Amino acid sequence: MTPRLIKIMSPLPKLTDNRVLRPAETALALDLISRMDFLRLKSIARWHARGLPADVTWDDLLQEAITRVLVGSRQQPEGITTVAFLAGIMRSLRSEHWRRMRQGPGAAETLHLDQQRDLSKEPALRDPAPDPERSLMAREGLAAIDALFASDPVALQIIAGLAEGRTAAQIRSGAGITKTGYESARKRMRRALLREGLTCENIRP
Amino acid sequence: MRKHSSLNFPEIALARVLDALEEDLIHASDEEIQGAAGDLGMNLAMKGSAAFIGLRSPGSARLPDFFDLENLTQIRGEIKGLALVNRSGRDPTDR
Repeated sequence: MTPRLIKIMSPLPKLTDNRVLRPAETALALDLISRMDFLRLKSIARWHARGLPADVTWDDLLQEAITRVLVGSRQQPEGITTVAFLAGIMRSLRSEHWRRMRQGPGAAETLHLDQQRDLSKEPALRDPAPDPERSLMAREGLAAIDALFASDPVALQIIAGLAEGRTAAQIRSGAGITKTGYESARKRMRRALLREGLTCENIRP
Repeated sequence: MRKHSSLNFPEIALARVLDALEEDLIHASDEEIQGAAGDLGMNLAMKGSAAFIGLRSPGSARLPDFFDLENLTQIRGEIKGLALVNRSGRDPTDR
């Protein structure tokens, strides 16, 4: 290897640095979450990372959400489980990144760690005007979800109904699916989502 | 290809699907998670199971983890300059 090439290559990072605790690890050590909760949260983070700009990964969403709880910038309301609460923060972060994409470059600094606003109560999409790039990314996200359930026609009908904003009853009556058929399809979908969520493969279409 | 009207507003459609199915993941039971891991051949009892990537180690590697991007950009610029010299047969900085 030439000295020039060596110069541009940083030393390979260790996969695990024992001197630094990652936010998820800290939350686990503090008993805020269990190991199974971590897997739930990882699946949720991977799920919400769909359609996000390339510089944001599921790991960013997850660690950022946990960090906000650890530093106290977001406080867990009573009666809400930690997983549901962290999922809500990730949803807010996703909305915030989408908003940043709409605002264009330079808007990144709007995402502050000490943000006190409850983003989950704000509308996820303020400006519904289609933007070609964002529309393309969202279409790709939808196509990737369709591909995930390609072998399950009932699941595809459910996804299409959810995309239209329909309720379970409306989807069932519209697609002629029985209640049992609907419930089993949702169960199959959950299993597929968990399988996808537990892997570490690239989720971008 | 989707035929429904949500194609007009794909961002809204995607948000609806993500939000609706997020609930399923929040309420997934331990048994369901173990079952899904089993489908993938993962053993969650193992300390170093791949399922736990993201807990102690980063979930994904990025270019700056391996390369000094500032140096890389500088070298790319130099290479571009060399390519120009080769194409024109002379140094583009010579006036």
